[in-house]
Amino acid sequence: MKLSGFKRELCGMILGLAVLAILPVFIQDTYLRHLLIMIFVYGMVAASWDLSLGYGGVFNFGHLALFGVGLYTYALLTKQLGVDPWLALAASGGAAVIAAGLMVIPILRLKGIYVVLLSFAFSQLILQVIVSQSDYTGGNQGMVMVPALKLGDHNMMRDKKLAYYYIALTLLSACLLFLRVFVRSALGKSIVALRDNEEYAVSRGVSLGRQRLLTLTGSALFTGIAGGFYGGYFRNTSTDVFGIDLTTLILSMVLLGGRATIYGPLLASLALTLLSEATADIGVWRPIIIGAVIILVLLVYPGGLAGALTAGWRRLSAMRTPRGQGAAINKVAS
Amino acid sequence: MSDLLEVEALESGYGRIGILHGISLATGGHNVGLFGPNGHGKTTLLRTISGVIRATRGKIRFAGEDVTAWPARRIVELGLLHVPQGSRLFPDLTIRETLRLGAWPRRARPREARNLERAVAIFPRLKERWNQPVKTLSGGERQMVAISVALMGDPKLLILDEPTLGLAPRLKDELCAAIRQVSDEGVRLVVVEQDVEFLLDLADHLYLVNHGEIAAEIRPGESMNHQAIMEMYFGRELGPLT
Amino acid sequence: MTVLGQILLSALFQGSLYAMMAVGLALVWTTIGVFNFCHGVLMTLGAYLAWQFVDPEALGLPMFVALPLALLVVAAIGFALQALLIRPFIGRGDVVLVAVITTLAASSILKNGTLLVWGPRPKSIPPLAPDTIALGASNVSAHQLAIIAITPVVLGLVWLFLNRTRVGLALRAVAQNEDACQLVGMNVTALYALAFGLAAALAALAGIFFGGFKFMSPDMGTEPLTKALVVVIFGGIANITGPILAAYIIGLFEAVSIYYVGFYWTPALLFAVLIVVLMVRPEGLFARSSRGLA
Repeated sequence: MKLSGFKRELCGMILGLAVLAILPVFIQDTYLRHLLIMIFVYGMVAASWDLSLGYGGVFNFGHLALFGVGLYTYALLTKQLGVDPWLALAASGGAAVIAAGLMVIPILRLKGIYVVLLSFAFSQLILQVIVSQSDYTGGNQGMVMVPALKLGDHNMMRDKKLAYYYIALTLLSACLLFLRVFVRSALGKSIVALRDNEEYAVSRGVSLGRQRLLTLTGSALFTGIAGGFYGGYFRNTSTDVFGIDLTTLILSMVLLGGRATIYGPLLASLALTLLSEATADIGVWRPIIIGAVIILVLLVYPGGLAGALTAGWRRLSAMRTPRGQGAAINKVAS
Repeated sequence: MSDLLEVEALESGYGRIGILHGISLATGGHNVGLFGPNGHGKTTLLRTISGVIRATRGKIRFAGEDVTAWPARRIVELGLLHVPQGSRLFPDLTIRETLRLGAWPRRARPREARNLERAVAIFPRLKERWNQPVKTLSGGERQMVAISVALMGDPKLLILDEPTLGLAPRLKDELCAAIRQVSDEGVRLVVVEQDVEFLLDLADHLYLVNHGEIAAEIRPGESMNHQAIMEMYFGRELGPLT
Repeated sequence: MTVLGQILLSALFQGSLYAMMAVGLALVWTTIGVFNFCHGVLMTLGAYLAWQFVDPEALGLPMFVALPLALLVVAAIGFALQALLIRPFIGRGDVVLVAVITTLAASSILKNGTLLVWGPRPKSIPPLAPDTIALGASNVSAHQLAIIAITPVVLGLVWLFLNRTRVGLALRAVAQNEDACQLVGMNVTALYALAFGLAAALAALAGIFFGGFKFMSPDMGTEPLTKALVVVIFGGIANITGPILAAYIIGLFEAVSIYYVGFYWTPALLFAVLIVVLMVRPEGLFARSSRGLA
């Protein structure tokens, strides 16, 4: 049986998700489940960023502000207005999409470093608005006692995070499917065309403004939802999500994972979240080690983890062919 | 005497793509002219000689030193100066500032004043635009600045890559006379040029570069008429047409 | 002192600090073409090293030895950072992007390294001038006045260096055409290192300014880096005079806004104005289109 590329990918995706879905049966530990939830959340944010950065070639340095918008939308709606948490979760995605739409206006025709600067300014503007409205948002202190997500009468607190695990996994699956369909569509191809040769693509009738708008809002949707989920999961908010540290962590997931792969950032989210947790006990040394790892990986593997894996896979499959065997033997001999 | 510049079985290219496949040439005491179709390695040859790109094989000797693996800046210090094709130079610097940078090599510093005088004598026109940014100059004027920058580096050998590209005929003549003057003052030349008349005027020793190899050579003293070169250039059968 | 006097003083003081930070960022961008997110932490290092050299609990050197020494050490750190974080990626198409993440990562390393070496306890270094000076009816700190006076001199020297010396010209040239620089015999790598080192020294000087009137913490560079980013966005990163002007304009804007609009709204207002300016003039208020120093 021969399957088309996308069908094969879909099968792989379903297989992977199935493995993740039965994982909680074997992982009973609350902390390990928490780690997986964080990997899913960061993975969503990083993979979405890959859409605008890797595929679109638009360096939106304010991507984490979209996460923040989702977080604060959820918290404000549920806590200050008493909106149903699930509705608020959907609204957090919508608010991030709107914020991304607004952000596109100033950067519509900009290039390179100016996009970085302006999206940075935009994220700072959102941060400053949140800080200045401390009566509602708690200002620099953040908000506490944010209402949690609810599943009927199910007690979310006493199931060892099982419900949160499945919610996060569902969101991640939806996010992944959305992103892969997006980049494989004609729209996705035109976005890549714009990135690779803007003048030619524009001259062939691709609209720069429309495509940038769709890319950035597309990257905002699940980033905002992830932010909303984060609020419902942790039940508090903090302006730290706008800080340079989280941006560094997520951005390095995108770069280390390998740009324009979607799966790469997800993989890097796994690696970096685990590294981050494994080093949690060594205090100040933790950011130092993570920073050093980021720099080292970039020095050694310019294509990121996905590039390294692809290269490794190729070498492996080359070794299985006779010619490859010869090469491998030569290597051993020399 | 030994050759000022001697290139032996040179191979080079960009990344894995080889452009030069074993080129050998020597200047003797003469000015050398390179000609041949576009995209066959003339510019790559010049860039390899001046150290901008690395040779993958072969040898380059200049002024008695093996400079094959040297970086460009050390080769410049020996007195080999390369005027690249259609250089933008430094768009925001003025002519005065640009020429001052030309005297960057240590060996050129003591003679900075003399070299400046020489450049201005050869290209008096530059003095009129002394404090204008280079980006405001015409193509011909920019080419004059580019050659003057090289003269400020006190060259023993001057490499010119298509100096007349895109220039009006009148400017071409002016530039040709100026380059001749440079040569008369004892600076050896390696010139790449599409305009055969121009090349015949300046060079005594011609090489035809084709497919990254030396396809033909006309030594000093051998007959070097326009007709013969055109035949080499386009192949025998086209001869009668020119 | 009158309201106007206070606003002007505050504008000049903040403007000086912003300018000192922003010029280094612009210098690195124009010569190397990358954005240096280590700039804030280089400022922090300048302040801490100055403390290390000058404080009686540490080395206790006299100020006139300690401060230049701190600047030199930070410049050397800048040299090293450039070689490790930027140089290996030069020539790659995505160097701007990669440099963002490598300098961010290095900034995290250095910030936490500072915490590791010097601990979390707030420190301060002696002000450049200890007294207060009577200006009209009120007293003004001499340290602030010293900063207001020194900054234009230092920046003027930087400007002269870039415009009147051969090495300065070379830095401007490398920003415009690297190939041509090689062909006149310049060592482009060394020029990159020089630009980075000089920028680092300027950041360190800003750190010494800060450490003389505020308590130092390992995180002290983050806020000034953000402000310096705003300044270069506003003034344009394609030269150094634009950011200098922008620094003083933003200092004035903040002083006026804090007085009339209030402390909490000022940052939001600043960013809103910034975005509007950028929509009209993406390259900044004072920039020409091409990249080039001075």
